[in-house]
Amino acid sequence: MMRWTLSLLAGFWLAAPAMAADDAAAEALMKKSGCFKCHSVSAKKDGPSYKSVAEKYKGKADAEQKLYTHLTTSPKVKVDGKEEMHETLKT
Amino acid sequence: MIGRFWAWLTTKCQTCSRIRLGLGIAVAVLSFSGILMAAGAAGLAWTNTEKFCATSCHEMTDNVYKEFKGTIHDKNRSGVRAICSNCHVPHEPLPMLKRKLEATFEIWAKLTGRIDTREKFEARRYELATHVWKRMKQTDSLECRNCHHDDAMDPEKQSEKARARHLKMKTQGMTCIDCHFGIAHHEPDGPGPQELKF
Repeated sequence: MMRWTLSLLAGFWLAAPAMAADDAAAEALMKKSGCFKCHSVSAKKDGPSYKSVAEKYKGKADAEQKLYTHLTTSPKVKVDGKEEMHETLKT
Repeated sequence: MIGRFWAWLTTKCQTCSRIRLGLGIAVAVLSFSGILMAAGAAGLAWTNTEKFCATSCHEMTDNVYKEFKGTIHDKNRSGVRAICSNCHVPHEPLPMLKRKLEATFEIWAKLTGRIDTREKFEARRYELATHVWKRMKQTDSLECRNCHHDDAMDPEKQSEKARARHLKMKTQGMTCIDCHFGIAHHEPDGPGPQELKF
């Protein structure tokens, strides 16, 4: 289930062809997980925008694995120069 | 003009005393003004209702109102809602009248069909969002603060992250809309309130 969800998110972020229903499911999960509190699709917030994330990982074979790790292991991230724990997805 | 009217009235009503006539006119003018004001207030109140926003035109019904449904401001655990006017119309009388006056120009957009299809709306979504962001940046997110009072927020009841972000807002001259955008409607594609200079 987690893998499936992350694939959806990867599709959402990496602009892979996805059905509208999948996009909606990914967006709903991101809302539920509070992702949009720090990230936006294309605008500046405390975290990088999803468009910039997509650009960063575009064409990289390990993109899905890296995102999976990032979203499931609560890694430390820097916000305004201070370290804080990244939230995990609420699946 | 008034002098001629007065002369006409006094010749027509020769049996009335001037005082009674003056009083009669004053009462008529006051009553008419009162009715006008009451009708105006009722009209303003009507345009602030959810029903008006949701059903008056398909541009609202099919786009922004549809997106609002199911969001945190529509349905939540406590049942306290923020309807369209709570976020888009200032509550204070003068700013409210100014906003209503501005909104009358939107009727022109309706009449000329500027956003009468989903495609046209999507093409203008970013522009429309920036109008709202601009206004909220200029008023320090007045509409948010009608319900979310800065000095009534208890930092102890906020998460560590929220505490840090709200402190940043206070110390770096930021305002609610800088971070809290795209809450009741889909986020438009493009730079957000933090990146735009208004």
